[in-house]
Amino acid sequence: MVLVLAIGDLHIPHRAPDLPAKFKSMLVPGKIQHIICTGNLCIKEVHDYLKSLCPSLHITRGEYDEDARYPETKTLTIGQFKLGLCHGHQVVPWGDLDSLAMLQRQLDVDILVSGHTHQFKAYKHEGGVVINPGSATGAYSSITYEVNPSFVLMDIDGLRVVVYVYELIDGEVKVDKIDFKKTATASTNPTD
Amino acid sequence: MEFRPRNYGAEEEEHAIPRVPADIHPLSAPSSSQHQVDVVDRERNDFLDPLRRPDAIVADSGENLKDEKNSSKAAVKLPGKEWSSFRKFLMQRFSVSKMISISSMPDVLTKSGKVHEKSSTSTHLEELDNPEKFAEEGVKVISRQAYVSRLHELKDEITRAWHADDRVTSLKLSIKVARLLMDTSVLQFYPTLFVLATDVINMLGDLVWERIKRKAEFTEDGVLICSLRENFEASDICFDAKETCNNWFCKISSIRELLPRIYLELAMLPCWRFLLDRPTDSLQRLVMMTRGIADPLASAYCRLYMAYRAQELPPCDRGYLITCINDLEILLMRIPSTKETTDGNFSENGRLLVSLMEPTIEYLMNCLFSYQTRVGNVHLKLGLGRNRSELYGKFPCTSIVLHHLLKELPTELVNSNAVEILQLIECSNDYSFNQYLNFRLLGFRLSEGRSQIDIVNVVVERVIQVVSQYNILEEYLKVVDAYMDIVLQNQMDNYLNIILDGILKRACDEVVAENELTILQSIFVKLLTHFDNLEDIFALKNFFEILDVMHGSSRSIVNMNILNIATRSGCIHDPTIIKVLFEVSRALHDSIDFSNMREDDNQQSACLISRFVNMVAYGPEMERHLTFLVECRGAFGCINELKETLVHSSNCLAIKAMKDGKTHLSFVKSCVAFSEVTIPSIPAHVVQLSLYLETAEVALSGGLVSHSDGLIDSAVNCLQSLDLMDGSQIRNDVDGILSLILKLCSLLVLVPGNFEQGVTYTLKSILSLINSELRITPRMRTRVLCAIVSLSATLSQNKLPYHVNHEEILANDCLFFGDPTYSQELLLLSASILQDLFNYILQEPSQATRGIMALEACNCIASSFHLSHEVVPICSKLMETAKLCLGINDKYLQSTMKFVDEHLPTSSRAVSSIADSQTQEGLVRC
Amino acid sequence: MSIELKLCRSNRIYRPNEPLEGKIVTKLPSSISHHGIRLTVNGSVNLQVRGGSAGVIESFYGVVKPIPIVNKSVEVASSGRIASGRTEIPFSMIPKHPQSENFERFYETFHGANISIQYLVTVDILRGYLHKSLSATLEFIIESEKANLPEQPVPPEMVIFYITQDTQRHPLLPELKSGGFRVTGKISTQCSLLDPISGELTVEASAVPIQSIDIHLLRVESIMVGEKIVTENSLIQTTQIADGDVCRSMTLPIYVILPRLLTCPTTFAGPFSIEFKVSIVITFQSDLSKLHPKSDPRTPRLWSAMESVPLELVRTK
Repeated sequence: MVLVLAIGDLHIPHRAPDLPAKFKSMLVPGKIQHIICTGNLCIKEVHDYLKSLCPSLHITRGEYDEDARYPETKTLTIGQFKLGLCHGHQVVPWGDLDSLAMLQRQLDVDILVSGHTHQFKAYKHEGGVVINPGSATGAYSSITYEVNPSFVLMDIDGLRVVVYVYELIDGEVKVDKIDFKKTATASTNPTD
Repeated sequence: MEFRPRNYGAEEEEHAIPRVPADIHPLSAPSSSQHQVDVVDRERNDFLDPLRRPDAIVADSGENLKDEKNSSKAAVKLPGKEWSSFRKFLMQRFSVSKMISISSMPDVLTKSGKVHEKSSTSTHLEELDNPEKFAEEGVKVISRQAYVSRLHELKDEITRAWHADDRVTSLKLSIKVARLLMDTSVLQFYPTLFVLATDVINMLGDLVWERIKRKAEFTEDGVLICSLRENFEASDICFDAKETCNNWFCKISSIRELLPRIYLELAMLPCWRFLLDRPTDSLQRLVMMTRGIADPLASAYCRLYMAYRAQELPPCDRGYLITCINDLEILLMRIPSTKETTDGNFSENGRLLVSLMEPTIEYLMNCLFSYQTRVGNVHLKLGLGRNRSELYGKFPCTSIVLHHLLKELPTELVNSNAVEILQLIECSNDYSFNQYLNFRLLGFRLSEGRSQIDIVNVVVERVIQVVSQYNILEEYLKVVDAYMDIVLQNQMDNYLNIILDGILKRACDEVVAENELTILQSIFVKLLTHFDNLEDIFALKNFFEILDVMHGSSRSIVNMNILNIATRSGCIHDPTIIKVLFEVSRALHDSIDFSNMREDDNQQSACLISRFVNMVAYGPEMERHLTFLVECRGAFGCINELKETLVHSSNCLAIKAMKDGKTHLSFVKSCVAFSEVTIPSIPAHVVQLSLYLETAEVALSGGLVSHSDGLIDSAVNCLQSLDLMDGSQIRNDVDGILSLILKLCSLLVLVPGNFEQGVTYTLKSILSLINSELRITPRMRTRVLCAIVSLSATLSQNKLPYHVNHEEILANDCLFFGDPTYSQELLLLSASILQDLFNYILQEPSQATRGIMALEACNCIASSFHLSHEVVPICSKLMETAKLCLGINDKYLQSTMKFVDEHLPTSSRAVSSIADSQTQEGLVRC
Repeated sequence: MSIELKLCRSNRIYRPNEPLEGKIVTKLPSSISHHGIRLTVNGSVNLQVRGGSAGVIESFYGVVKPIPIVNKSVEVASSGRIASGRTEIPFSMIPKHPQSENFERFYETFHGANISIQYLVTVDILRGYLHKSLSATLEFIIESEKANLPEQPVPPEMVIFYITQDTQRHPLLPELKSGGFRVTGKISTQCSLLDPISGELTVEASAVPIQSIDIHLLRVESIMVGEKIVTENSLIQTTQIADGDVCRSMTLPIYVILPRLLTCPTTFAGPFSIEFKVSIVITFQSDLSKLHPKSDPRTPRLWSAMESVPLELVRTK
């Protein structure tokens, strides 16, 4: 069982001073094995904070990130799953399933995590899964300013993934989950 | 050709994975057993909080003090390594002029081979007894370099003689070297001399040790008798080896002069282990013998060497060190009486002497306390336990010894004996050390641990009384700085007020000097760190008055600390505090040397000011906030990153106004206008571009279409002024620029088409820019072209995937609903792109990239268009190209083929028969 | 061609009743024949009367004959050949005649100024008239037989001394006389040769700064010449225990290891005697002393004070 935190679009300090206190008290070091961050942190201090939660930190670049060294896209393999990461402001049009599916094919990943729209989404599409963790600070987006802060925690266990969605609605953290499984064909087929 | 119709809403519904509430999740509250751990973690979490991180700008002198101590303490456990660094320290601390004048030139320093020629034939050591120090009269001068190299030569000579089995010569030369230590006439040179000479003597000691050890382990013929354990006993040593050892001690004992005799016996001190299991008696005797050295400097360094060599013996009672220190103290007490100058003042020479002796005291103290287990009641023996009447008696602690004792005493002892120590300091006001520095050290040491409040009260009260007599600002500051932590921690507000009064009284009439500023800075940092709350800090008596006497970099550092605290605890609401902080920032800004922006300090100042501006929150008074931003733009014009912050802030302010729900249209307009005016003053075009886009988004959200049009125009112009290939900085960020162009494309989905300019006006602008810019990479070009194709396909849909959150803005799906010319125009644009696309791809020199580009284009086309007979050949051609470039087994190619295949009308499925479906991996919900 | 004697004990110390064991080592370019290998032990007391500083006994110079202790010889090998290269021939002989205990007295080895007690072992390889015989000599050291030594370790005997301006029999500088000084302490008067001379010394007072305090170890050699006994003191070793104007009332240790060969048990024989004494000499800082840099420590000076005590040295087990 591996816990992967997917988080992004914090826009600190431009659009929010800090993570919501309720999120901060939940996110403690030592619990999470990997963090994947879609980008727009935006300052180094946020990077350091995430690093303190878990040293295995993977970040792609949002358009407001100070650190130009973050890549546009990133892939990593966790257990049986290949994960792809991209901020999403460069997807035309934003958040479009078909466009994201193109990216997924290109990166050759089982799960594509992208952000930018500041809305939590989880789709099953063309045999893959697309997840958007939303904005962890509830920052306004290109489209709307009505945003609930949210992030996602993925519990990867064998061929199964349980995705927990943490959303702050009216000052309360609401936790939902979705789960999905990779079909058995995958295990018979040696992948790179 | 026609675009593939999409129903975004339905697709989303179809593919969305349903969510169910989760009662238990990985971050749910831990069970009670884990709770404690959790709390600790949380504290750490707070500590690492991005906006509360401790800044490196604070250099606390107390911390430094501790560090120094720890480093030397840890090192004592490794005598070898520590010794070599101590030696370096001695050499560096007391640097010597190039020429050394010595009262007599020992013949050992003059290069002559005679010395050992003569001695090698003799078997007695008697001739060693001829004191050579009277050999020549008058002052001689030798260069430091010559002296040093002569000693290195001697070391070589000794080694050579030893290895030629001429050990008597080795010993004789070593004795001569040891004799050099008797000459303390050039005070400043003595530490260097000590280092050089002990290096030689040490070597001899090691050689002798090795020789005897070998005798104990092997017979003359090299047959192994026994291997000695690390902790061997005297009974393990054979008779012959003991005889040899005895002989060496006999030889050393026959040295006439006391000092060389002690040094050589110390060099051989470890050898006592061959003869005795408990060689402590020898050590004790050597301690007593050293009392015969009247010269304070020679005697102090001799004890230093003793402490060093004693570490080679098995751990034993540290009592000898106490005797050493007490003896040294007696010598220190004698210095003024012996070295008094005619006018009765303690001479410069005396001061130098004390400073030269200081390292030895430090080292002895360090050795004494480095073995925690053996400390016992060391402090009692050193005089801490004496009662008051005795203290004033004949044997008070010398202040310099007291200083180093206090430095090394374990924290608990300092705390439990604080009052006694204070009394000791009070009655040890002698020449050897400044008394106020001991008061200061006591403060630092007390701050390390927790003391009983009544003790602390007594000490602080007394110290405040003492320093109230001080007229020199520096001394006053140095002492009160050390007690700051205690006063603050114990909430001794009355003392704090007295201290602040005292500082102001002493500081207001003079220009505060650099070193005083440093201490003031330390005091301020302590205050700031302690209160951690600006209201409390600003309420402190004389706070601003004292701050005003400060200037220069210390002032800046305090300012930075103030800002740091201000920006750490979330938003800043209080208008008065904002006002103060604005002034603090302005002072900081004015102190920044903009000709030297690379310096980290400046960077940090700029960063803090930006953060302060970010943190300011006037709440509902948004107009006020915007005015503040305008003021900031005026005041901090030199900081570029601040302008970025200002734009972000004003945009955020606009959004906030919209959220308020009321009609704040004119205010939003003002915000957008502010951003629009501010952006051009930012030098980096990429930053400009991204801010234009953000502001355009905000303008759209506010329903300000004409503003957003203008901003998008500016963005496109900005793009034009970006030289996409030139300038290394831009080249590095080519991905960033590309992604911003793509973002602009997606943004256009929201923008209502302009009837005057034509619906595809902006698209065409981008297109012409891309096409005209010859030096743009093929990859970038194809990606932008693909994006325009995707965008066209999106815009042609009956319902767009997203809309502006403003009821007054009608998007293109409304404006052009059912307008055939609209979709025709988009289709035409896309068709023209498709014609060129393939050629652009072929321009890419890298084969792998070319393959990927072909697939990207293929995917874009296949998902944008109906795969009609006009489109299918284009796709096939692209896939063929990709196949050639990447090979048939490429995963991206395979998944693309599968995708294309699925989207083909059933009649023409055969096109992608090459598609291999065996690699599909499906994901199903469970 | 070389011949060498080697003793089994590297320190070459033997007691008269112990076998002197070792080997004769020859290194020869070619083999040689010989008429026998002979080993001789010779011990004697050599007495010499030199003109001392007093000048009284110049006329007796060199008249005293040595006193033989032992002269014993054995044949290690009868005639034969020694091969070329390195050859080792072991030997063993007891210096003392087993029966005649009272006949010979084996004094301990001692190298003094006028008296020297020396034991030599010599090997001779006799090679007839045509060749010079090969020989080698080696000194070995005799210490008293264990059986004759006192069972119990000698308790160190100490004497307490006071040195003040009033205890001095020689003239002192006026400032010393008027200012005064007082140095006290204790020092061994009987001491085992294996132990150091021990004691302590404290400068209680001194108006004039001290330059140095030294412990002189002296031998007192007496020789019977005719009817007269000629006695001479000479310096064996000087050990400084204070360098410079040391602190008052601080106790300084006296610690002097007795040098081998140069000391032996205090001996009273008929024709000669060997005794020892120690002098504590305090030198005061004085401009005068600089004019006499290399002075004989036995000579009393205006700027020094001294105290001598006899020292009995004994051999213990």
